[in-house]
Amino acid sequence: FFVDNGNDIPEEDDIRRRPPRHSMLHDQEDHEDLEAIERRIQERYARRVESFDEEATDVEQQALLPSVRDPKLWMVKCVIGRERETAVCLMQKYIDKGAELQIRSAIALDHLKNYIYVEADKEAHVKEAIKGLRNIYAASKITLVPIREMTDVLSVESKAIDLARDTWVRMKIGTYKGDLAKVVDVDNVRQRVTVKLIPRIDLQALANKLEGREVVKKKAFVPPPRFLNVDEARELHIRVEHRRDAYGERFDAIGGMMFKDGFLYKTVSIKSINAQNIKPTLNELEKFRKPGESGDSDVASLSTLFANRKKGHFMKGDAVIVVKGDLKNLKGWVEKVDEDNVHIRPEIKGLPKTLAVNERELCKYFEPGNHVKIRVFADDVVESSEVTTGITKIGDYELRDLVLLDNMTFGVIIRVESEAFQVLKGVADRPEVALVKLREIKCKIEKKTSVQDRFKNTVSVKDVVRIVEGPCKGKQGPVEHIHRGVLFIYDRHHLEHAGFICAKASSCVVVGGSRISGDRNGDAYSRFPGLRTPPRIPQSPRRFSRGGPPNDSGGRHRGGRGHDGLAGATVKVRQGPYKGYRGRVIEVKGTTVRVELESQMKVVTVDRDHISDNVAVTPHRETRYSIGSETPMHPSRTPLHPYMTPMRDPGATPIHDGMRTPMRDRAWNPYTPMSPTREWEDGNPGSWGTSPQYQPGSPPSRQYEAPTPGAGWASTPGGNYSEAGTPRDPYVNAPSPYLPSTPGGQPMTPNSAAYLPGTPGGQPMTPGTGGLDMMSPVLGGDNEGPWFMPDILVNVHRPGEESVGVIREVLPDGSCKVALGSSGNGETITALPNEMEAVVPRKSDKIKIMGGALRGSTGKLIGVDGTDGIVKVDDTLDVKILDLVILAKLAQS
Amino acid sequence: MASAPAQIPTSFGHELRACLRCRLVKTYDQFRESGCENCPFFKMEEDHERVVDCTTPNFNGIISVMDPTRSWAARWLRIGRFVPGVYTLAVSEALPEDLQTICEDEHIQYVPPKR
Repeated sequence: FFVDNGNDIPEEDDIRRRPPRHSMLHDQEDHEDLEAIERRIQERYARRVESFDEEATDVEQQALLPSVRDPKLWMVKCVIGRERETAVCLMQKYIDKGAELQIRSAIALDHLKNYIYVEADKEAHVKEAIKGLRNIYAASKITLVPIREMTDVLSVESKAIDLARDTWVRMKIGTYKGDLAKVVDVDNVRQRVTVKLIPRIDLQALANKLEGREVVKKKAFVPPPRFLNVDEARELHIRVEHRRDAYGERFDAIGGMMFKDGFLYKTVSIKSINAQNIKPTLNELEKFRKPGESGDSDVASLSTLFANRKKGHFMKGDAVIVVKGDLKNLKGWVEKVDEDNVHIRPEIKGLPKTLAVNERELCKYFEPGNHVKIRVFADDVVESSEVTTGITKIGDYELRDLVLLDNMTFGVIIRVESEAFQVLKGVADRPEVALVKLREIKCKIEKKTSVQDRFKNTVSVKDVVRIVEGPCKGKQGPVEHIHRGVLFIYDRHHLEHAGFICAKASSCVVVGGSRISGDRNGDAYSRFPGLRTPPRIPQSPRRFSRGGPPNDSGGRHRGGRGHDGLAGATVKVRQGPYKGYRGRVIEVKGTTVRVELESQMKVVTVDRDHISDNVAVTPHRETRYSIGSETPMHPSRTPLHPYMTPMRDPGATPIHDGMRTPMRDRAWNPYTPMSPTREWEDGNPGSWGTSPQYQPGSPPSRQYEAPTPGAGWASTPGGNYSEAGTPRDPYVNAPSPYLPSTPGGQPMTPNSAAYLPGTPGGQPMTPGTGGLDMMSPVLGGDNEGPWFMPDILVNVHRPGEESVGVIREVLPDGSCKVALGSSGNGETITALPNEMEAVVPRKSDKIKIMGGALRGSTGKLIGVDGTDGIVKVDDTLDVKILDLVILAKLAQS
Repeated sequence: MASAPAQIPTSFGHELRACLRCRLVKTYDQFRESGCENCPFFKMEEDHERVVDCTTPNFNGIISVMDPTRSWAARWLRIGRFVPGVYTLAVSEALPEDLQTICEDEHIQYVPPKR
């Protein structure tokens, strides 16, 4: 009976999707219409409104809808990232001003940045309330929220519960950023999930690390995804243990990582994965499927693929499969589509000619390898009718292309069939043809190499050669491809294999002159004819000698679509913090791209949409050598180190020290300029005295971390200059508590140093700014990395030796003198940072705090809550909650 | 402005927790020292383990309620009967069984979060 006059309870979908833009409706009409109705309802419910607080049914909730008599909601712009702080500031102001403040509530939504809502009867009340708040701009627009949108404001979607096993997600951070992963376990209590990924492990580097050998960490080197082969690892002397997890499942453990069936199983925080609208590409799904999985699981994985979507668009003729209900797994074709139902013609005989199925129960179905046209989502995929006719091309590959099948095998496509290719392999002595599916092809080989013939003449593509040895002796023809000393010759008189012959270059002789134009990148490439450098990489063999195939992550094939041709291309950044910079694409990862900036020795991650590759492609040689400032610096990084120390002090310390005090006041005394007294400080006596409480985690502190430019980039692991082995030493005895507080902070300085010599002056973020820039504090300020210190117990990992010891002394380069034994009574050894691991304390242990503002303090661990430890600090007897990572067990002496 | 307001949170990090019954938001320390102003029967100030059981760090959105009796938002969120303070719009966990029993014993209404 509730009149439908704009007070509808919005549907769940709308709540989720509607952007928080409130139109400037003319509420007058609404209000006038509602007046009358409202009066009636008030009468009916007036008495019961009070008691309704106790009832919880939906019907009663309807009665709580806002009326014209209720205060209105006003949307107010505030400093981005400070929404919660602003709402709480208003609370504080109310406590002090009392009824003078005429607002009723203030709301900060997690998902809405830059704005808060204030509940008040009049706009003037809001204006008055926000006066003096430094987080709200004086000129801030105050926008009224239409009555019908008010309940939306307060609706939140609880996402904690939405993760389920077997859901597809994408990693947001780390080496696997952008990679597809499958959820295998959810821990809601600790807010962590275990996911299964295709490992990106550099076995060689791992072997080196585990054996304690010096790891020459290649800058920005992310290994390509590849299933882990336990035997391969063992061959490199990597220790593989068998372990069981909480469920009793067996895993192979290497260096703390757990593997099974080639996959890596990783437990990460829920915040570091993306679970919404994940659309795995077909390639990714294929990769995830291990050989041996049955056909059923294909369907299952495809249907989970679609489970995340909202709607499907079915067209007549589409092949579909029923994924829900009694008809599940039934395949058919779409005959007709109407309002809600799709009529399909089932595959199986014996069923009625057409069945009506609900749209939501259907999914499009297509076999891998089908020729499809990609429009927007895979849902919009339509099977192409070109499949049935004779074709010369599937995907990116066509007849006569030279392709790479795996690390060892390559060949020329001699025939294209409906779902696969016939490839003449590069085996010279006897012709070998393989039937290869689209996905088994790694990439095209387009490198133009040249080779020497039997008499040491140079042979290049298009030269005519004659075979003088072997089974095809006497044949001759132009060279179509050259690879690894093998020639693919096309002889139209040759009846087999579409005329292609594979022969060793040394078995051939050049006939006539070479016919190529000056298109010889001879100098750069002719050195590499026999080398195994993957085709894409010749530009930078020095920098990125990737062991594996040059495939982009995600299995995209090179040379096909525009973006994949990006890798190695010179691009210009058009948007984002790196706008204006030129660089070269090193890797394409999901939706982001890693670019090496031309003007700085940095590799940064940018969104794929932010770059454009219409920069005139300068031959790679130029980019490598022509940037004068780069070359001398690049090989040796030592010039940077001296900068580290001097830069740190002027850059970082003054900011923090200088700003600390006033910041603290102002954050909680929003209108300090207006008031003579500082009553608010005294108002909450205990809280503000303990300054460390704010700085590590609170937004104000982030404000001062943000301007130092390194912060943003430092968070990309493996990104920058933090190698060289000794990033920590300047900070071990740092006076200012801020500096050690972010491991992301370590490279802070090297990056600022990087600016000074080479900066083009384009960056707006100079350390000197008062830190009041509105940089979104991207850094997770919670990273207060652990630092070794004396008296703590550590586990020492060395090849062949695992022991416990007590740190007696920390040396300038980060390594420590450790006295072995649990009481430190044994011999003293010197251990490197990567050999040591602090012993995790247990409840009731005496501990030392290794990071954060309280670094150096000792205390007792009185409890554990998930990944946090509850500590009673010795000196102050305060109880703090600190991440277990920064707590170390104190040695008994 | 009837009742005395609850303590307002003094920091914003991991320590922030929301009471699972009334959704009041404070830091762990504050709950431990003064308990929950709306739910004194939980006796968090006496039994520190209770704090971990009765509160959660997983919550979504906050609302500062200055005047619960006159705020529509507080009424809609069913916190109109509680003291002024900072609350959260939604918690993601339900109160553990044994604590729900305590609520029943005290004739206190408890509404689990919607799924």
